[in-house]
Amino acid sequence: MTTNDVKTKVVESIRAIRTGPLAMRLYMDMCVKCGTCAAVCPVYYGRPETRHNPAERTDLIRRIYRKHCTTTGRFLGRLAGAEDFDPAAVDDWAKVFYECTGCRRCATFCPFGIDHSVITRKGRATLDAIGATPATMRKVVEVSLRTGNTDGASKEAFLAAIAFLREEMRDEHEADIDIPVDVMGAEYFYVPPSGDVLVNPEATMGVAKVFHVLGMADRWTMSSRCFDGANYGLFTGNDAQMKEENKVYVDEAKRLGAKVLLMGECGHAHRIMKMMMEKARWWGDLPFAITNCMQWTAEHIRAGHLKFDKSQNPDRVTYHDPCNFGRSCGITEEPRQILAAACANFQEMTPNRAENWCCGGGGGLSAMDDIYEFRMNVSGKKKLEQIQDTGAHYVATACSNCKRQLTQLMEYHSLKVEVGGVHDMLSRAIVVNGKAAKREAYV
Amino acid sequence: MQAMRLVVGGLLPYVAFLVFLGGMVHRIRTWRRLPSPAITLFPAPLTPADNRLNALQEAVLFRSLFRGDALLWAIAWVFHVMLALIAIGHLRVVADVDGLFRGLGMSEADIQSMSSSLGGAAGIIVLVALVLLGLRHVMVSRVREITGPADYIALALIAAIVLTGNRMRFGSEHFDLGLTREYVRSLLTLGDVTSSEALHNGPFVLHMLLALLLIMFIPFSKLLHFGGIFFTHTIVRKR
Repeated sequence: MTTNDVKTKVVESIRAIRTGPLAMRLYMDMCVKCGTCAAVCPVYYGRPETRHNPAERTDLIRRIYRKHCTTTGRFLGRLAGAEDFDPAAVDDWAKVFYECTGCRRCATFCPFGIDHSVITRKGRATLDAIGATPATMRKVVEVSLRTGNTDGASKEAFLAAIAFLREEMRDEHEADIDIPVDVMGAEYFYVPPSGDVLVNPEATMGVAKVFHVLGMADRWTMSSRCFDGANYGLFTGNDAQMKEENKVYVDEAKRLGAKVLLMGECGHAHRIMKMMMEKARWWGDLPFAITNCMQWTAEHIRAGHLKFDKSQNPDRVTYHDPCNFGRSCGITEEPRQILAAACANFQEMTPNRAENWCCGGGGGLSAMDDIYEFRMNVSGKKKLEQIQDTGAHYVATACSNCKRQLTQLMEYHSLKVEVGGVHDMLSRAIVVNGKAAKREAYV
Repeated sequence: MQAMRLVVGGLLPYVAFLVFLGGMVHRIRTWRRLPSPAITLFPAPLTPADNRLNALQEAVLFRSLFRGDALLWAIAWVFHVMLALIAIGHLRVVADVDGLFRGLGMSEADIQSMSSSLGGAAGIIVLVALVLLGLRHVMVSRVREITGPADYIALALIAAIVLTGNRMRFGSEHFDLGLTREYVRSLLTLGDVTSSEALHNGPFVLHMLLALLLIMFIPFSKLLHFGGIFFTHTIVRKR
């Protein structure tokens, strides 16, 4: 692509803002430059430099919008905050728009409710249109579209992992706890988050144990071709790829004949299914409902269907609200109900829920190893302090991106804090056939 | 001077009115036409009515800002409340606000003294708040680094309007309510203002000029937040 092509494409992408969506258009006109977004931004907290100021990042787009789409910008130029796109800035854009975690904390506190994540995503979509998405992100999308999961794992690898989990549960409970795979007509189709089967297997065992205890082991299934809810199209800003990745899962749920699509502990996967795909009716009427495994489990806890031995989790546990569950899906109480039921010593982080600080790996950053130092020292700085303040030995969270970022954060800063899922804690304490799991390996 | 007086006093008010109205109508019509997929930010109000109520509370109380930056909230809230108070005070020129107070049993002298003390106080407080807002733009680095010429122009314009207004209240060239009413009545009835006494007050004409510029500036600048705030808040909390 020549410099001219690049410029044309970028300007075209930004001119398209005139036709919506409305939020984007309003954000071009409305910011009063009060600096509140910077005061509440995890990245700016970590390193208060101009490039990390949310309003400045947004201005990268806004300046070009003013230049090409507003009368004042056309005639007054810089005086009206208008500037043309400089193709030499592409490399810097590719860095800057992948330094925002898209956590939406700015939107929570902005006096106008301006959501800078919307603008960040526009910046990323613009980069994607000129083929400038960072290589690490491009690769994840490519693998995901090719194999159906972000790890590029095969069906055989998945089946082997499931067999291993069955054995594990047999050791833990001296009982056969099933993880059904590819069962046509099963009522519940469980979609775990990225890597949960292969890397963080405890959550899947937790879900399996809940079904087992409820006597519903024959009413759910996993899929050997759709076992990773992650969808990086959300992060690259490429709507077509986001929908393409999503369709595979919706089609699989239809093929299996499931009545409930049970999403795992993955914030953005649940958000895309529930808040985007279902709400905007990407694929019309759906023959199934969409719910999250935490909502489902918490409902059974509230109904008194599950019993726990809290002494299995004696250490202090805290919960990190993934931005996509807390701010973007409104799921904040259910994970706490599960943790309160399964742990002896639960400690809240401050602030929490909708005001929680991002782990520093949101917006897909967690998967980018080329910005590891940035994630450890800048975007994750506030989270590190917040976790230290709780004195917790275990940080539970419900998102694979958060888990990866937090695990690395604890290692990098030499903290003896374990990071895991919500159903992981449940798995350790849930009473199956009268007793909780015998555990050795996980301590 | 006579020509200047006539342009500012006789022509500009109509131009400003049309520019403001046209600009805002155009804005709001465009906004209403654009697609607006939900980008729900939680906690989100349950119904559209609750959502509108929430946006209204945000517009009146600046609730999100209060939780985000309490100091800025205090300055900004006082600033906007004083602006609102001043706007209401200006209504005395066109509407029978006095009649309302007389109905409440206040004497003419009471109303005059309330107007002077409240109006005078508002004029001072709004200026202090404005200076504090300006100082933030200069002294707080996270604000300074995102501030552009347009932001300073908006602040300076409002400051100039407040200063000329205060000069008419506290200075020797005090405005005359009776004459002003007469002048505005002529404007509203499309009457002849060429011989209007009010336009012989220099600071008044300057005050008018600056205020009309500000009014025309609103639809094309960040001052648009004046109307846009309802839109942005309802969008982001829409379920």
